[in-house]
Amino acid sequence: MRIHQYEKLWIVGAMILIVGFIVTITYGSVGLGITMIGDEEETIAPDELNDDEQFGEPRVEQVGENEYAAYVVAQTFIFQPDPIEIPANNEITFHVTSRDVIHGFYVPGTNINAMAIPGQVAELTVEFDEPGEHGLICHEYCGSGHHTMEGLIVVQPEDEFDLTELSAETPDTVTSGEQVQLNATVENGQLEPLETTVDAEIGDQTFQQNITVDGNSTQDVTFTAESTQLGVGEHDWTVTVDDYEETGSVEVVSNETAAAEGGEES
Amino acid sequence: MGSRVSREIGHDEYDPWGTLSLIVVYFVALTLMWLFTYFVEFVGNTPTVMGMIVPVMLG
Ligand SMILES: [Cu+2]
Repeated sequence: MRIHQYEKLWIVGAMILIVGFIVTITYGSVGLGITMIGDEEETIAPDELNDDEQFGEPRVEQVGENEYAAYVVAQTFIFQPDPIEIPANNEITFHVTSRDVIHGFYVPGTNINAMAIPGQVAELTVEFDEPGEHGLICHEYCGSGHHTMEGLIVVQPEDEFDLTELSAETPDTVTSGEQVQLNATVENGQLEPLETTVDAEIGDQTFQQNITVDGNSTQDVTFTAESTQLGVGEHDWTVTVDDYEETGSVEVVSNETAAAEGGEES
Repeated sequence: MGSRVSREIGHDEYDPWGTLSLIVVYFVALTLMWLFTYFVEFVGNTPTVMGMIVPVMLG
């Protein structure tokens, strides 16, 4: 069979194009590491989410050096957690599931695009290079409030990101003469130990304590003030750790008042 | 073809250069569109879902 010169030319051209397509796709997956969201992920019953170790409390946690996991639950018509706070320049693996119907998990302007399917966990690893805020929307029709279903991804600068949590409390009332105890708990969700300073203020008294919280653990700090020095009345208190602040107030009641009320314990 | 004047040409004398240039234009357009959709619209739309290729292939 004799094939015309021109025909040979465009047969060869078509072959080069096809090979070129295959080469670029291969380069994308091998060279750049681009992948698709597979169907080999774990499954989870939607009505057991609350008992699940991860999805029971949707959150971001550190799983390795420069590696974080974000557990996200979609439900009509919100995403949890909201906002999702993550560090820039770190590998973030989102684990996304739904509590009720099929939802979408889409960050406009990026290739982050998954379905949140009840019973299944979509797993996708991404890395944000720049700090900033990204909207997160549901792009699978899920009900009457679908158009309002949105979340927020806050990408924080790597050196400003932490997983510190502060909680603090005092008794509501303290009988004059007894001690006012302010209990603060600092939680460090990251793997490295957290060295920081706890500043506290009860009324006009100030306290300071340096602490080291090990990775993935909590540390309790107690500050004690003499109620007689504070005096009878309402006193505000504040606890600060890094950028976190907790406030409240404690009331010092005089002995006579306490006795009149039946001598209740502080 | 009746009495009309006709000329018979050989296989290699047939020279459809117009068709050839049209197809060349198609090829160039295809190549440019491919480069644009893949490298600019897709790869440039970061972040992209990353991972190891191994589980994809094994899965
Ligand atoms: Cu939805």
